[in-house]
Amino acid sequence: MKNQFFKLPIIIFFIILFTFFYLLVIDRNPSMVPSALLNKSIPNFDAKTLIENKKFSSSKEFGGQVVLVNFFATWCKPCRNEHAFIKRFSNDQNIKIIGINYKDSSGKAIEWLEKLGNPYSSVAIDKNGKIAIDWGVYGIPETFVINSKGKIKYRHVGAITSKVYKKISQLIEEIE
Amino acid sequence: MLKCILKIIISIFLMQITLINCNAIEPDEILNNQKYELRAREISKNIRCMVCQNQSIDDSNSSIARDLRILIRNKIEEGSKDKEIYKFLTERYGDFILLKPPLKVNTIALWFLPFLFFIIGILIILNHNKKSNKFIKKN
Repeated sequence: MKNQFFKLPIIIFFIILFTFFYLLVIDRNPSMVPSALLNKSIPNFDAKTLIENKKFSSSKEFGGQVVLVNFFATWCKPCRNEHAFIKRFSNDQNIKIIGINYKDSSGKAIEWLEKLGNPYSSVAIDKNGKIAIDWGVYGIPETFVINSKGKIKYRHVGAITSKVYKKISQLIEEIE
Repeated sequence: MLKCILKIIISIFLMQITLINCNAIEPDEILNNQKYELRAREISKNIRCMVCQNQSIDDSNSSIARDLRILIRNKIEEGSKDKEIYKFLTERYGDFILLKPPLKVNTIALWFLPFLFFIIGILIILNHNKKSNKFIKKN
């Protein structure tokens, strides 16, 4: 009994060691926080569109098909890096993509899209960052996958890389 | 040598004081109503900056922290209670936004494991003492 009692700290030590080692080895980014809105309906919002300067109502834009929502800004370098992948989603997979231009100059954003190409079906303006807060956004760029029922199925914080592109493409196929 | 060490310790101590007192609030954010402002400060101290992650929004200079500080002040002015503001934030950012994790089923281990380890430690020490006392008596 006494011997068993003394074995306990050693067992606990190895359990902790194994847990830390496992967390170190698996593919994860500890600073990336999962969205609290996962599997919940999208937060509704009204805004102005960037190019047409018309009213944008989220309640009319979602539902019936898978939609990608991409928060971007011209001042954000990773947004420029991921833009090629956003275009690939639009061209290769024919996915509806809604852009949300976060705290940006509208003139610069229009110029940026003209120069790099516009993969967005429409771009809503989030001048003061209120829409971003409603969506739980904390780092630009962020991309959300919305299913046909208007529920958030996935959120990616940071630029889309080829690895993330594959992951999101697979997810789109699964939920479509 | 001793004087030198003492000087280093004092300077580190003074540095800590200046660090403790610094916060990121800008003058245009401060509310005229002192009661409201104090409430906003208290809430901000408990809200994690999601960008810096180890700082509260009260201390952080990031853009999102400023947005959240302004949002909290607006909500207070609109008449929201503290609980409602915390609920608003956790609904969007999850419990991670709270610097003090709430006691829930999935955080039980976080709250009680330290106490469990403490008790196990005490039991081990007591057992060890008992064994050594027996050994001393025998010899």
